[in-house]
Amino acid sequence: MIPMRLAFFAQCTVLLLALFACSLVSLISWSAIPISAMDAVQALYNMNNDSIAQHIVHDLRLPRVLIGIMVGANLAAAGVIMQALTQNPLASPSVLGINAGAALGMALVSTIAPWFGLLGTSFAAIIGGGTAWALVMLLGSAWRGGNEHGRLVLAGVAISALCAALTKAVIIMEEDQASGVLTWLAGSLSDARWQTFDAFWPFCVAGLLGAILMAPTLNLLQLGDDNARNLGVSLMWIKLGGSFLVLLLVGSAISSVGAIGFVGLLIPHMARILIGQDHRKFLPVAMLLGACLVVLSDTLSRAIIYPAETPAGAILALIGAPFFIYLVRKRTL
Amino acid sequence: MMASRSLPFLLFVLLGLLVANLMFGAVSIPFNQMLEGFQSGNEHYFTLHEYRLPRTILAMLVGAMMALAGALVQGVIRNPLASPDVLGVSHGAGLAAVIYMTFFPTADVRWLPEVALIGSFIAAITLWWLCGQHSSTIKLAITGVALAALYASSVDFLMLVKPLEINNALLWLTGSLWGRGWSQLSMLLPWLLLVPAALGLAKPLNLIHLGDDSAISLGIKANKLRLVALAVAVGLTASCVAICGPIGFLGLVAPHLTRKLVGGRHQILLPSTMLVGAVLLLLADLVARTIDPPIELPAGIMTAIIGAPYFLWLLLRTK
Repeated sequence: MIPMRLAFFAQCTVLLLALFACSLVSLISWSAIPISAMDAVQALYNMNNDSIAQHIVHDLRLPRVLIGIMVGANLAAAGVIMQALTQNPLASPSVLGINAGAALGMALVSTIAPWFGLLGTSFAAIIGGGTAWALVMLLGSAWRGGNEHGRLVLAGVAISALCAALTKAVIIMEEDQASGVLTWLAGSLSDARWQTFDAFWPFCVAGLLGAILMAPTLNLLQLGDDNARNLGVSLMWIKLGGSFLVLLLVGSAISSVGAIGFVGLLIPHMARILIGQDHRKFLPVAMLLGACLVVLSDTLSRAIIYPAETPAGAILALIGAPFFIYLVRKRTL
Repeated sequence: MMASRSLPFLLFVLLGLLVANLMFGAVSIPFNQMLEGFQSGNEHYFTLHEYRLPRTILAMLVGAMMALAGALVQGVIRNPLASPDVLGVSHGAGLAAVIYMTFFPTADVRWLPEVALIGSFIAAITLWWLCGQHSSTIKLAITGVALAALYASSVDFLMLVKPLEINNALLWLTGSLWGRGWSQLSMLLPWLLLVPAALGLAKPLNLIHLGDDSAISLGIKANKLRLVALAVAVGLTASCVAICGPIGFLGLVAPHLTRKLVGGRHQILLPSTMLVGAVLLLLADLVARTIDPPIELPAGIMTAIIGAPYFLWLLLRTK
């Protein structure tokens, strides 16, 4: 028992160190103006002189890295919860339509009612994502707890296609507001500033804490609906509460940086391979891994066609889609 | 007997949409002026002859060919959720076309249908290889959808990485008929040869529905027939995608609607599904052009707005 626990802490420490290294690389590399590691570290706590490098690190890079960490943790936690709730290894925010629904909500509000501002669009994202998720769960007949995994995924894909088409139509028809929505849709961290960070972190902390508190209950769900019910678990409340958490995590993440996909699909599987099935352990590990992945792909997004930027969402989709195929293939549906 | 009433009705609707497509747009042209407009020298001659007429013909042909491809695929693999766009074949064609245009920016666009054909064959073979021959309905659809997502994200990635070369490719691949004219129409024409080939498969396709064993005892080589029919469907899809981009859900919806109207006999189903496909795409393009002029929506958006709910409904009914 003790070595097991030690191993878990060792793994967490390694992941934390890895996250730290990724963040540092992201702070100092691929900049138009050379930044030394010294400057970067100094800019973290104070700016002793007015060097441009330190300003870049403090005003542009640092919020970007922090938001990347939070987005990665949020999406990974959401993926874990969704896979536990639906008992479906293919469940994730992007596959089951939450991303596309949130994008539609954002696009509608920011083109038709732009005076709502940042908070309004965040709520629009959460409502849009929630509507899409509810539709997918209803149409995919997931509430009844059937084991029709494929149906749920296909319902998600169809809802995604519908939302994406409506989003495109809205953007084309309201061209004045379109450019902002378009960059947002691609899922990029390039516009992440302290302002976004300030609006985002309370939701993020609340969501992640909620997820960790929920971990023991998620373990019970794995025993199957009937067994969980016999152990005195109220399935309806777990599913409602879990859905609410997912919406909080995903809605806040993608209203701050856009529709970044496939983190929620990829990371839970990687964490499960590392740690096993116990949610109390593999949920925190998934959060750390998700943070690493998003910070890494954001760094890559600056490097790949330097000095221009590729949205991190595009890179994640290129990594995530083959993995999706692999998962489909591995399972006997 | 159902067909005897449905077919004249479809023809009538098609004719009405044809006239409407010529009349309406950024500028509406009244009917009698439209008729006169085809004489050269008339004030509307340029609009009608250079823009609306080729575009309308192209919409009819593309709609008909995509619907026919969908009917062939559904007929062969007996899977209600299948169609070239759900199975990722359309997006494979689109990816090949984008790769061709980004990496060889000086190359001739005339070869685009052939390049798209190669791409969609690779996509079809990949799907076959991933799924094997006897997969369940839903697994086949999910693998196709996942592959389509992979191709679509690769296209997005290429567009972001090579923004300069891509303008040309974007014009081709938005799932739209915008800016298409006589030259694109002439590129599509040779591929129309696949239509009689597809219609010729009607009778064996009926027999294959009796089950493989009965078909074989009636002298049909089931596997060979499948390969031929799928190859024809892939060719039809690729040539359309090379010209208009992946117009989603058309190949899925049109055969289903047609089956409701005229029943499942392929001799009637195949030609009727072409009519329905033409009607659907003409309608989608008309709505897309006239909903908020002078802004044009891609027709692919309209087909997705109709097609995605229909797909969900089919999914609910699939056992």
